[in-house]
Amino acid sequence: MSWPILTVTLLVPLVGALLVLALPAQRGRAIRLVLVGVTALTLGLTCVLLVAYLAVPSAAASRLTGSANGQSLSGIHSPVTFQFQEQVSWVQSGPSLSHLHAAFNEGNSAFNQASPPPINFSYHLGVDGMSIWLLALAALLFLVAAVVLSKRQERLRSFAALMLLSEVGVIGVLTSLDLILFYFFWEAALIPLYFLMIGWGDERRGRAALKFIIYTVAGSLFMLLAIIGVYFVTGAQTGVYTFDVPTLIAAQAFVETTHATSFSLFGHSFALLNPQDWLFLAFALAFAIKVPLVPFHSWLPDAYSSGRTPFLVFFAGIVSKLGAFGFIRYNLTLFPQASHTFQPLLMGLATASILYGALAALAQSDIKRVVAYASISHLGFVVLGIFALNVNGLNGAIIQMVNHGIVIAALFICVGVVEARFGTRNLRELGGLAKPMPVLAGLFLVATLAGLGMPLLNSFVGEFLILLGSFQVSPVWAVLASLGVILACWYMLRLYQGLTQGDLRLPGPDGVPQVLQGVAGRLGRVDVGPVEVAALVPLVALMILVGVFPAPVIHLGRFSAAQYVQAANRPTATNPAQASARGLTAPGGAP
Amino acid sequence: MIGAQVGAAVPWLPLHFVPASDLLGILPILIVGGGAVVVLLADLVVPRRGGPLLATLTGVVLLAALGTAVGQWAANAAHPVVFDGSYANDRFTLFADFVILATALAVVGLSPGYLRRRGLEEGEYYILLLASVAGMLVLDGALNLIVIFLGIELLSIPLYVLAGFARDDKKSQEGAMKYLLLGGFASAFLLYGMALLYGETGHTSLTAIHAVLLRGATAGQFDPMILAGIGLLVVGLAFKVSAAPFHWWTPDVYQGSPAVVTTFMSVATKVAAFAVFLRLFSATLAPYRSEWEIPVAVVAIISMIYGNLVAVAQTSVKRLLAYSGIAQAGYVMIGVAVGRPDGTQAALFYLAAYAFMNTGAFAVVTLLSRRGEDCDRYSQLAGLSRREPLLAGLMALFMLSLAGFPLTVGFFGKLFLFSAAIHDGQLSLAIWGILTSAVSLFYYLRVILLMYAPGEDVLETQEMEVAGVSPEGSAVAARSTASPAVLVVALAGFGTILLGVFPALIYTLLQGISVVHG
Repeated sequence: MSWPILTVTLLVPLVGALLVLALPAQRGRAIRLVLVGVTALTLGLTCVLLVAYLAVPSAAASRLTGSANGQSLSGIHSPVTFQFQEQVSWVQSGPSLSHLHAAFNEGNSAFNQASPPPINFSYHLGVDGMSIWLLALAALLFLVAAVVLSKRQERLRSFAALMLLSEVGVIGVLTSLDLILFYFFWEAALIPLYFLMIGWGDERRGRAALKFIIYTVAGSLFMLLAIIGVYFVTGAQTGVYTFDVPTLIAAQAFVETTHATSFSLFGHSFALLNPQDWLFLAFALAFAIKVPLVPFHSWLPDAYSSGRTPFLVFFAGIVSKLGAFGFIRYNLTLFPQASHTFQPLLMGLATASILYGALAALAQSDIKRVVAYASISHLGFVVLGIFALNVNGLNGAIIQMVNHGIVIAALFICVGVVEARFGTRNLRELGGLAKPMPVLAGLFLVATLAGLGMPLLNSFVGEFLILLGSFQVSPVWAVLASLGVILACWYMLRLYQGLTQGDLRLPGPDGVPQVLQGVAGRLGRVDVGPVEVAALVPLVALMILVGVFPAPVIHLGRFSAAQYVQAANRPTATNPAQASARGLTAPGGAP
Repeated sequence: MIGAQVGAAVPWLPLHFVPASDLLGILPILIVGGGAVVVLLADLVVPRRGGPLLATLTGVVLLAALGTAVGQWAANAAHPVVFDGSYANDRFTLFADFVILATALAVVGLSPGYLRRRGLEEGEYYILLLASVAGMLVLDGALNLIVIFLGIELLSIPLYVLAGFARDDKKSQEGAMKYLLLGGFASAFLLYGMALLYGETGHTSLTAIHAVLLRGATAGQFDPMILAGIGLLVVGLAFKVSAAPFHWWTPDVYQGSPAVVTTFMSVATKVAAFAVFLRLFSATLAPYRSEWEIPVAVVAIISMIYGNLVAVAQTSVKRLLAYSGIAQAGYVMIGVAVGRPDGTQAALFYLAAYAFMNTGAFAVVTLLSRRGEDCDRYSQLAGLSRREPLLAGLMALFMLSLAGFPLTVGFFGKLFLFSAAIHDGQLSLAIWGILTSAVSLFYYLRVILLMYAPGEDVLETQEMEVAGVSPEGSAVAARSTASPAVLVVALAGFGTILLGVFPALIYTLLQGISVVHG
């Protein structure tokens, strides 16, 4: 690809946001047109990217040999390879990256330890076989959100602009290949999200937004420390001071992880965590909050229940996947040994999320909260698959991230329509909606079945692979996670049946549900409109398509999964002789 | 040369005693000081209500000084130390000069409209401002204890007057009195510290003191009197930068002073005081680093914790910014505690960042003021996004920057400071910085929440309910008279974003900087 397609993909929504802001606020139709056009163009670009990625005949070869983009350290390649790379220096003090590589390969430390280390970071973009799928999902969901955004939405212009800015942030997170750039987008994406949360939603939105932001940023700030930590720990041991992700991934092969000292207490010997472990935990905290895993999840039900539907489509659909993305991209590759050390912890938290989310979903009467807790449960599967640390589990996790994005978006559109029509989210006040809303009920049914992991629908594929992968680790995980699948049937069908079956029940004037007999015709047109159908049909079609023909999807995800598994299973330089044999000085920690 | 020529032409001027290179070295100070005299004289002849004219004149003076400083930076003098080693006109000084002069320019831009609205149009305002700026310029290059004290007093005394400039306002009076009394105490501490240093080393020159300290420290002897002197210096300087626990004056003074004075005080004073802080501690007192490292780090940590925690409970933007200023001082103190070139550079970068975001935030408060009072209560901010979308947007930007979000310069400020701390092995400083930053989100984002979603306040304060007054029309009035003020806010916002995306613009400037101590 001779033109910088990733930068263009990043710029299109940004320019779109400025374009929207340039329009007069009352031109609702024009604003919506621009919004849909821009998000469609972004989707088109990611499709071009996807086709180009799959079509490049040398891609497979370069995936195996490591791309020749100056990332190799003395023949040791990053096991994860990236395509469509673009790199421009951003802040540079001290020797450039190529200089550092040269110095590394010659076996001398690139600069005097007494001088302040250089701070180099660059605008470095690239995709791999995992992020490209999430990129396509993101573009799709933003288009869907743009379609369901009503032109009568209050302050439409601001909403549209903020939505496009969120898209810039999400694409930036998925494509950045420099830790500082990644953090930059990671946090910057929160700003439009925060404004979307406080500006639109129910009366509790302010609290929900603040909770979300404080949770997320508190986690991310530790990640920032860890990013700086990775920089110095890797730099001190290899002489390569860089934030560049491919270089760091390659360099991990030389980072010692045997600094752990032990102390004894009451006769037991405890091993202290080594620096890699701490760094792993700091990254994991940020991602666990974003996913969210169970002890860190309490922002999610509030945020999901107070937001507007278009917002939730991409917020629940893609933003929550960024945490899982981070686990795969950063935790597995930068801290291979720690990934194994903490495998039981992460798998345990993931299982807890699956079960807790499922049980909590059963207890809700607010339809949006049912979907919110269901989402926690489903994302637990994704993390379980990731930390199975084998190809099946990771492959399933990658597929399931995309699947969940599609399913949750459809579910939120469905419950959003119900809320908008009847002004309530209370499951007890609603019922029998299949009669006045047959189309919605039909589409909702497919989404529900996909959500509970029905075979021939998309989620089954992902969940099956994840269970397979976790079974390989230990049958215990698979058994516990299977309980989550069973519970999923219960809470999803409870939601579906409660809403659509039985007697028609609507909220009455005094808050007491009214049971209506045979008055469906008098309700007027309450079924989904053409706009909602246009948004739901592609999602439902994808659910069926992926469910019926899973082979291509599995195949495509498998390659990337294998690369990440290879990265996570690398032997690290636990043997100092290995490093010193290469003429490297390995000082014991930061200088 | 120039001195000699002028001296020959005007024989009764004792200029021939002063080499021209020395005068060139303090040219920015001369311009600002001379400018103060010019404005003083102009004030006698311009008609009453000649505020804009005096403001323009003051602006020209500051611009001239800024231009001179830029020229000196470009010329890159080989021997920047002048006046027999008592003043350094090095890049460190010039960088601090840039920040101070730019802040002062912004304040002058905000002043005419604000002073008119509050009925405080007096020519003396600009004279005092220029005098204080001159003191700051003296301070940031001082290489001698006497010069440091001269600078501190020259910057402080006009500020005492400026703090009480709103004579009819009791809060302003109270603030000025507190500032004067506590400032006097701080000066006394500082002076006592200097006396101890002088008494033990026999020098007032920082270069000579450094040499003595180095001899002692290499021999492993740490003189207790010098340690006491350093301790007193920390107290005096921490007062000036309003670091906890020496910050008690800050909230009342910031709230009571007219908003333009608060803007100036919170940014420029802090920059000048930190300049001398950095110079003293990263160069002169470096041999004693093992002794002062912990106390300075403790002051940094206390400031971060105290400032951020107390800011949460505020209901006035000026007080909020006062406590956030205490916290921000704590962050810069990380750079002082790290002490090495990267710590100094990170601290300078943060100060430049702080100048943009804090000036901007205070400038918005200035623009919201009405006749006779500053509208800084939270209740008066509620719903600002509907009334003043531009101001609300910029205020939100400054809040995000102060909170350290990416896309704004505040992010890189924190990044450089934390990475300097981690590189130095002072992990605890970075961790406290991170923890308190997370706390700070609460109150910064709360301001945004108030502006964008009124009635959504997360801590329903009683004040919110009695908020009967709606300052409708306040900023509309501002708009008609305050176009330079709007320009200042817009420029601050532009700088916050520009440096938030391209931090290299300043960061590369700082690369060459190391602190000269003779």
